[in-house]
Formats: sequence, structure tokens, C-alpha cells
Amino acid sequence: MNKLFTRIGLAFVLLFSALSFAADKPAPEQPVDNGLLWAQLKDGATGYTTSQSEFHAMPINHYDLRVLELRSDWLAPGLMAALFGMIIIFALFIMVNGISKLHHGFSGKMVHRWSKFDISIHWLGAIPCLTLILTGLTLLAGRFFLQPFVSEGFWASFVSIGKQIHNIMAFPFMLGWLLMTLLWAKNQMPKMYDVKWFLVVGGYINFGPFKGKHPDAGFANAGEKMWFWTFALFGLVISASGLLLIFPNVFEPSRTMSLISLVLHGVSAIIICAFSIVHIFMATVMSEGGMDCMISGYCDENWATQHHNLWYDEIKANGTLQYKD
Amino acid sequence: MATMKFLCDSKRCIECNGCVTACKNENEHALEWGIQRRRVVTIHDGERGEASISVACMHCSDAPCMAVCPADCFYRTEDGVILHNKDKCIGCGYCLYACPFGAPQFKKNGAFGSRGKMDKCTFCSGGPEENHSEAERAKYGSNRIAEGKLPMCAELCATKALLAGDAEVVSNVFRERVAYRGADNAAWK
Repeated sequence: MNKLFTRIGLAFVLLFSALSFAADKPAPEQPVDNGLLWAQLKDGATGYTTSQSEFHAMPINHYDLRVLELRSDWLAPGLMAALFGMIIIFALFIMVNGISKLHHGFSGKMVHRWSKFDISIHWLGAIPCLTLILTGLTLLAGRFFLQPFVSEGFWASFVSIGKQIHNIMAFPFMLGWLLMTLLWAKNQMPKMYDVKWFLVVGGYINFGPFKGKHPDAGFANAGEKMWFWTFALFGLVISASGLLLIFPNVFEPSRTMSLISLVLHGVSAIIICAFSIVHIFMATVMSEGGMDCMISGYCDENWATQHHNLWYDEIKANGTLQYKD
Repeated sequence: MATMKFLCDSKRCIECNGCVTACKNENEHALEWGIQRRRVVTIHDGERGEASISVACMHCSDAPCMAVCPADCFYRTEDGVILHNKDKCIGCGYCLYACPFGAPQFKKNGAFGSRGKMDKCTFCSGGPEENHSEAERAKYGSNRIAEGKLPMCAELCATKALLAGDAEVVSNVFRERVAYRGADNAAWK
């Protein structure tokens, strides 16, 4: 009998102790709502897992799935167009318009324009830039435009080598970009006469009201300035997003951040690629005598007076004009 | 043909990690050290409303990994399983960024933190190599589908929380459970 009372008493004590514990938690507990659980999972809730692998604590990483279409439907054809489309457009333009000739021919007197160091940083950026465009095109658009026409083995090694070259060439490119951006910016500041340059399309149109126009230009003309600042800005974007993608172990970006980088990288690539094609055409074909600048560092005196009159007048006036020996 | 899917019943999963072990054991050497194709995640661990789910590649019908891969190494089998060709994989990691479920994995051992070949759940159906060949076993592990069997993780699930098989069959099994006990949105599928 005594034993029974002890048991009942103990049960009472336990009952009230349980109640007192419950009283410490004032919030009424909601019944488990599975719908809520899925909503939390879709919002990227994380949980406990024994797995040590990357991102494994989060069952669902939510992001805007339109990123996928953006890459395949817009960026891939966009980069194709920026490369091949621009080449075709510019070639047609030159066939119709003709090139920009030196009106007084070559004078034979060569004026110092670029130092040897300037030329080397130009090519330090330029050669990797070209390889990056071609390998980047393979990585972004190759599966749509090349893979269907080649064997599986060729494609596998091609895209693999493309990736290796892309990763390696990124570093000289970034160094070239950094040096060019920092060292050349002082000559690229916009001036009022740049507006007039744009109004006559730089004097490169050989027909209609634009024919024979020669707008003022300093060391760099307005078109070159536009290219310089575009390159400076998108070079920064492409370098930053590229570093994030190449060193995930250092920056530890989220998956969404990596996808955003991927899109920014593609957009920057399209812009830089399109400008690069124009830049190459202008220097090699369009502007007679222009290519000498980045080979010897000297330009023809007639080229200087025709295309960069203000710069020529300035160096002549302040005595910094140097002829090639 | 069938459309293969996994379904995990969160009302039944007890976080025993049997599926993880079954997968590791079944696919043995194809899984390099540190890689696990399947994991169990417990939400609200130790709190009211705790729920566990076993997560691996969900073999999506509109697979994001397939859409982003620069090397186009993914393909869909006639059973609706998403497989990949490791000989094409360049280790860029884009599939890992695109996959909502964190299924693709890479062993990190290269210079500059470069990734190796991607590995993920194959629904125990190997890879592009000849069925049951040495190469297939070494790269992708088991090929139970070719033997007419279902993935080892689901087959060994003690509580039958994890189901694998044709989408219709699997959802019918789940629907029958719901008819008896309720909780119609307890499934991870």
C-alpha cells in the first residue's frame, strides 16, 4: 500500500515537473506544417548533414533559372556575332567605304609616339586577349556551333585544351590590362573636341557630308578614348569575374554568385570582343600607316598631322617631337 | 520507356544514412575519397518539426547541369536518367553552380584549386562505356539498371523512405501511403 502511494506521489511530482518545464517555454508550439517545411527548403534552408562536400547542408539552392537560357540563347550567339558578325560587317564596310588613306602619302619621316615599354604592354594584353576570345568562344558557344561538326574525341580534347589555355592566358592578359589602364589613362581624358569627332564619325566615312572631314584629335582620338574606357571598365569586370571562377577555393563564392559571374564574364567578353575587332580593323586595314605605331613605336609625320593634329602641334610646340634616326 | 525518379518520404526517413553507405559501397572505387553522391540532410535538427531527406541527383527533366556544361558532357538515357561522360568533362564546376541540389562534386587536388572530373549519382546506371566493362566500373561505379535492378540506396532503405523507379509507380506508392496516413506533401521528389 505504502509502495502504491509512493508511486502515485512520484507520478504527481513528475507530472508537475513536466508542467513546470513546459511553462518555461511560453510560445505555443505550432503543429508541424509540411507546406511550411517545403517553403523553407525552397528558400534555401540549411540543415545538418554528415557530408563534408561543398554546399551539401543546403538541399535546394534557389536562383533564377533564366540564367540558363540567357547563356545558351543570348550570350553564346552574342559572342559568335561579336566575333564573326563584326568581321563581316567591317569587311563589308571597307568594301563599300574604302580605307582612310594618307592624303599626302608617306612622308618617310617617322615621329616617336610609343615607347618600347608601351608597345610591350600592348602586346602583353593583346596576344592573350585574342587567345582568350577564341578559347572563350569555344567554352561558351562551341557546343552549339562546333561540336555537331566534329568527332567526339576531337571535341573532348579541343574543349579541354581550350579551358587550359583560357586559364593560363588570363594572367598575362590581366597584367597587360592593369598596366595599360593605369599608365595610359592620362592621355585618354575626354575633351570637348571629342564630341565633334563623333559628329563626323572621325572623318573615316568617305562619302556624303562626311567626306574629307578631319576632326581634331589629341594623342588619342574620341574613338580610341571610347575603346580605352570600355576596355578599362569591362576589363575590370571580366578580370574580377574570371578570378572568382578560376579560384573558387580562395574566394568561396556562393553558387548564385558564380552564376552571376559567369553571366557578367560573358557580357564583358561580347563587348570587349566586338571592340577588339573594330580596333584591329582600324589599326591594320582602315587607317593607312596606323600599324607602325605598335610595331616600331613611330608613326609617319603625315599620319600624325592627319589623325592626331592637336597632339602633333603640341609636341612640335613644346619640343618633345622626336624623329626616328 | 520509363522515366526514372527518386522520391524520399520525409515522414519515414530516420536519418540512418543507410542510403549513403549503400551508395558508397555499391559504387566503390568510382567514388574518390571525400566524394559522396548521396547525403541525408536533417532540417530543424533536434527541434519540433525535424525532418530528414535523402538528397542526390534528382535526374531533372530540364536538367540545369546539362544546360550550362561548356563541354556538353551530359546526356539523358532512354530511362530519363541524366548521365555524364567523364572523358568530356573539363572540371569547370559550372554544373555545381547550376544544380539546385548540389549533386555534382569534384575532388580538389589540382594546381590553382582546379577541379578534377565531376562525379554525381548515376541512378546506378553506369556511364557511356559498355555495360559492366572495367572502364565503366572504374569511372562511374555500378550499373544495376542494366541488370534490371533499381539503385542500391533505395533498395537498401530500411524504412522504405527512399523510393526509386518509374515516376508513375513511385508516386502511386507514395499516394497509397498518404491515403492511409495523410501528409500528402511530405515527399521530396
